[in-house]
Amino acid sequence: MAVSGGVAVSVGTGRRTDAVWELAPERLRAAADAVGRLRDERGIHFAPVRHHSPACAVAVRAAIEELRPAAVLIEGPEEFSRLIPDLLHEETRPPIAVLSLGGSGSSAGSGAKARDAEDEPEGAGFYPLASFSPEWVALRAGHAVGAELAFVDRPFGERSAAERALSGSAAPGPEGSGESGIENGAASGTARPDPFARTLMSERYLAHSEAIAALARRIGCRDHDEVWDQLFEARASAELADWRTVFDDVFAWSALARLDYEEGVLAGEGSLDREARMAARIAETVDRLSADRLTDGGAGPVLVVTGAFHTLALVEALSGAPEGAPVRDRQPEGGFGPTAQGEAWLVRYDHERLDGLRGYGAGMPSPGYCERLHAAHLRELRLAPESVSHPASQSASAQAGPIGARALATEILVDVARGAAGRGHGVSLPQVSAAAESAVRLAELRERSFPCRTDLLDAVRSCYVQDDGGVGGPGEPERPLGLAIAEVFGGRSLGDVPPGSASPPLVRDVRDRVRAVRLVIDDSVPRTTRLDARRTASHRAKRQVLALLDFVGAGFGQLVSGPDHVAGRGLGLITEEWQYCWTPLVEARLVELVHLGATLEAVAVARLYEAEGRLAGTGAGAAAGAGAGASSVDALARLVAQTLVIGMGWHLPRIVSLLRTTLDTDRDLSSVVSGARRLLGLWHARVELGAEEHARELLDLVSQALATAAYLVSDLGRTRAEDEDAAIGTLIDLRSLLRDAAAAGDGDQGGTGGEIRTAVVRELARLRDDGDTAPAVAGALLALGFTDGEVPDDVLVTRVRGALTAGADPGTAVRFLGGVMRAAPDLILHTPEMFDAVDDALRALQGDAFLAVLPDLRRAFTWLRPTETHRLAKRVAERTGARVDQVDVRVALSEEDLAAGLALDHELAAVLERDGLAHWVGSPGADTTRGEA
Amino acid sequence: MTITETATPAEIRPPAEVRYAGELAALDAWDTERGHERPPGWRLSPRAVRAFIIGSEELGVRRKFYGDDPLVDRAVVSLMGRQGLMLVGEPGTAKSMLSELLSAAVSGTSTLTVQGTAGTTEDHVRYSWNYALLVSEGPSERSLVPSPVCTGMREGRVVRFEEITRCAPEIQDTLVSILSEKQLMVPELGPDARVAARPGFTVIATANLKDRGVHEMSAALKRRFSFETVAPVRDRAFEIELVQHQLEAELGPDSGRPAVPLDVLEVLVTVFQDLRTGSTREGAPVKRPETVMSTAEAVNVAVAASLEARYLGGGTVTAAEVARQISGVALKGEEEDARRLRHYVDNVVRERARNDKRWKAFFTAAEPLWR
Repeated sequence: MAVSGGVAVSVGTGRRTDAVWELAPERLRAAADAVGRLRDERGIHFAPVRHHSPACAVAVRAAIEELRPAAVLIEGPEEFSRLIPDLLHEETRPPIAVLSLGGSGSSAGSGAKARDAEDEPEGAGFYPLASFSPEWVALRAGHAVGAELAFVDRPFGERSAAERALSGSAAPGPEGSGESGIENGAASGTARPDPFARTLMSERYLAHSEAIAALARRIGCRDHDEVWDQLFEARASAELADWRTVFDDVFAWSALARLDYEEGVLAGEGSLDREARMAARIAETVDRLSADRLTDGGAGPVLVVTGAFHTLALVEALSGAPEGAPVRDRQPEGGFGPTAQGEAWLVRYDHERLDGLRGYGAGMPSPGYCERLHAAHLRELRLAPESVSHPASQSASAQAGPIGARALATEILVDVARGAAGRGHGVSLPQVSAAAESAVRLAELRERSFPCRTDLLDAVRSCYVQDDGGVGGPGEPERPLGLAIAEVFGGRSLGDVPPGSASPPLVRDVRDRVRAVRLVIDDSVPRTTRLDARRTASHRAKRQVLALLDFVGAGFGQLVSGPDHVAGRGLGLITEEWQYCWTPLVEARLVELVHLGATLEAVAVARLYEAEGRLAGTGAGAAAGAGAGASSVDALARLVAQTLVIGMGWHLPRIVSLLRTTLDTDRDLSSVVSGARRLLGLWHARVELGAEEHARELLDLVSQALATAAYLVSDLGRTRAEDEDAAIGTLIDLRSLLRDAAAAGDGDQGGTGGEIRTAVVRELARLRDDGDTAPAVAGALLALGFTDGEVPDDVLVTRVRGALTAGADPGTAVRFLGGVMRAAPDLILHTPEMFDAVDDALRALQGDAFLAVLPDLRRAFTWLRPTETHRLAKRVAERTGARVDQVDVRVALSEEDLAAGLALDHELAAVLERDGLAHWVGSPGADTTRGEA
Repeated sequence: MTITETATPAEIRPPAEVRYAGELAALDAWDTERGHERPPGWRLSPRAVRAFIIGSEELGVRRKFYGDDPLVDRAVVSLMGRQGLMLVGEPGTAKSMLSELLSAAVSGTSTLTVQGTAGTTEDHVRYSWNYALLVSEGPSERSLVPSPVCTGMREGRVVRFEEITRCAPEIQDTLVSILSEKQLMVPELGPDARVAARPGFTVIATANLKDRGVHEMSAALKRRFSFETVAPVRDRAFEIELVQHQLEAELGPDSGRPAVPLDVLEVLVTVFQDLRTGSTREGAPVKRPETVMSTAEAVNVAVAASLEARYLGGGTVTAAEVARQISGVALKGEEEDARRLRHYVDNVVRERARNDKRWKAFFTAAEPLWR
């Protein structure tokens, strides 16, 4: 290795890694020697990588193909080793992730970690793998050469427990968080509340290293990502195939960053514990293999693929260097014992969550670009892509595409131009060629062998932007160009996992069901589907699956528009529109639900029982007379709706019987009425809900609810003034319920619950004529009765006159009037006698009394529509002899308008005065202001 | 290596190529030594131009432009292309400085400049005539007075067009054919008379697209330029450094004048950054004045404060001098701005003055000023 020679290879002309080695202190040089010894004496080769680096992935591939190692050991919780067959499965297609849910991550003989055993670890962690991840390449390429494969890192359960203990005690870590993302995995301090972004492969160490920041300043890079690009990603394919040089340089680069951290910090955030485990597993493997070698000879070396940050520690621990003591001291006497077992699953992952630029701590920015860059490297080196065992679904870009990174650059620029043009930002051909030229020149200026990510972005910025607005993006308004860049560089790929045992059964079941109804889940692009469930059976099935997933809280789809039977909205609409998107979050949420059942149905049933249990509880409370479960009829009707919407009608009998008992006990008319209306709505929607068999039952329930309503109606008479509004609302609902119920049914019976309806009507009439009924309720009943033709004209006028007569209490009178107006606002327009009565009553009011009732009065008239108000105002004006056009002035002035008007006025006056026209402004002030306003 | 500044005292502000003659010579030598390729017509290689602007410790070249190195890269590369370079941004973001430095480094001269104003005519962009000669001799090479653009084309140099949006669009559009055809017809001298651009010719225009009272730019012209937006300096440490260096450039080395201590500069830059961004570093909202609180203005304030301390004050610059000068130098007589500053002093500065001597001095001086 060139490392031991001191200054390593300098590929460029002064801006490459020799800068790194100039800074290297003695400890690093000693470690470089140790690397050589470990290789020669024990056959251990290190592949220090940056997670999700295409350059490292190419180098790992080259290393494995040349070394043909006997074993490839990879950084990653060791319980993942169980999943290796699934990872190697021919249908597994990245990006995917291994999902850990904490849980039992303990192994035998773990004396060192008694401290974190008491807490049950929780939370999910992702171990993402993209096609350009060195770890992924190591698995695939290692398998191809017949190497033994294993993950060797500390189990996730232990890690997350230790980290939680740490975050509780607020110990100082590198910028308060470790590599594994203690809090939500957000790289910036502004935590992103996305628990699913918590990744086991982040690069925070590097982002916060002072040494790397200094290096960035020195070689003129904007951040550590660009330093990385400059030093490594900018290498040509052939240089990357020279894996020894690449790994020497990566080692030097990250070891420098490592030296920035004190031991206490590294111990605190768990790095040392992890390295202890990795070092021990490496040593075990090497010893076992060399024992084998003694017997049958010929076993190859061991390749260790880890984040470069750990390589220095592993080298020092394995070589016996004094600096390796902290790591060695953490290894228990008798070793770590057998590989830990723990629950972990393969889930599909997407580019969005891989993108370091979007705030997730997972490593590389621009995964979409990285994927294509990696593929371009492979094509140039004439290597087959690692994941091409799935030709049918393999995207075309991996098979055919630009050869080499230079050719890729132009393609990327063309794609961005296309994406921008598709969004309305036209980019001309000369601009594209100018950008291509500019990218190449930038790369030359920055001494890179081909235009890299930042060169391309700079070229886009230079040549596609034709104003001062920039490209838009985070912190700026979104612009077409910014969106196009995000699309091309970010990528939209969604991986695939084999149908085998690696993914939890629930996830598989859901995927099957979603696929069966032909919803697209092959990528993470949000999609919209319009369904006509009434006419098309397949749409009904689709809606049912979407609703089911919505019900269990999978976050897969949502109803954008259309009838929502559960909430009781938009019931008149025929088509429904759903938006859905299969993201890793959906899988993660499903994984969280696994304890409820192995199939979607089972989970839904569990949820249903849960909801039922809750409602039964409150129902009992209502029966006890506490009134706690006042809304339970309605809530149960909702549950009935929910059950039917998700197509689980066979659970209905249970809920229905609960509903029947609740109907006997619920004392709240409004709950009963709205529940009944909901049930009637379900009856109307029985076809699209596929609930014809329950139609009879639904109508029976409506009848029973009407009976309860008839019994409860008399309560309305005793309504207190402050509840009158709600009471009138219930009355209006009840009236529509009665009307709808009359229209519903099998036709020959003349509607539902014929006699019961009559009973309700009778009760209402009784209440209307009862002198003690709350005035607003009485008013509303009267108005409704009149509209329905039950109250003749003269009765209405007499009653209104009586209520508003001169001697009556103004407060009561206005409440009455309010009730009338709310229930039938247009009455006052169509019934001249009533208009006269109201007019007379208001005229008779004394000043103080008028002021006292004015607010209520105002409110009463707000039930009129604007045009009605207009007509009423006209009539009032005619009556009072005022000029109609004067009444009809609508002045909507705010304080600002006034201030602005005044300022304008002054300005105008000043201008006129300046021009010697002061006499034009006769009397400055009100007149002008009004004119301006 | 030291920077030899060969400014003649007779000139208030010599052009960049004179001020930095030493650095330019060193970079030229570096190019020759390393064998860097120079684009046709360029005095230096792109790498050297870059180093001239963002500095290089090894070569003893000072950093002159801060905060956005990729922008410099893009600008240098744009100059190599067929298009002109358009630097846009708010006033005082060092657009003109950048254009001056670029042209000095690329062409060795930064004086081929057209100043765009409402009165700029086509003659200023193309050519005009010496009318005495024109009358006596008729149109001839001798009677033709070339514009800076014309000269730049002939000699293959970078031409600067300052404040291009202040010109009427018709005048701006004169550049369209020049930039696309790289030649200028002179029909007066005969049907074939033309000035052909030599390699190295290009235009760096600066514009302030947001300012009121500027003219629109035609799409045809926009297509001929690469746009670069120059953002105000956001990094506090950088801005302090920048002000320090500018001070040196304006007032000479530290020895002969009242020193402006670092902590006073910090107060100055903090005030400017607070007012520029509309919020303090702690996140408290501040009312932003209309006046552009650019770094250039901060330098002006520092210079004025230094002069005040030297001729009127006690010989050292304190936050009090800074406070007094801000009102005069930075506030361009806007009534409303004074109120905004008062709000700032009343709320932010008063709070800081509680436990910081420098801010206390600032506050004491500023309070009576804006009552």
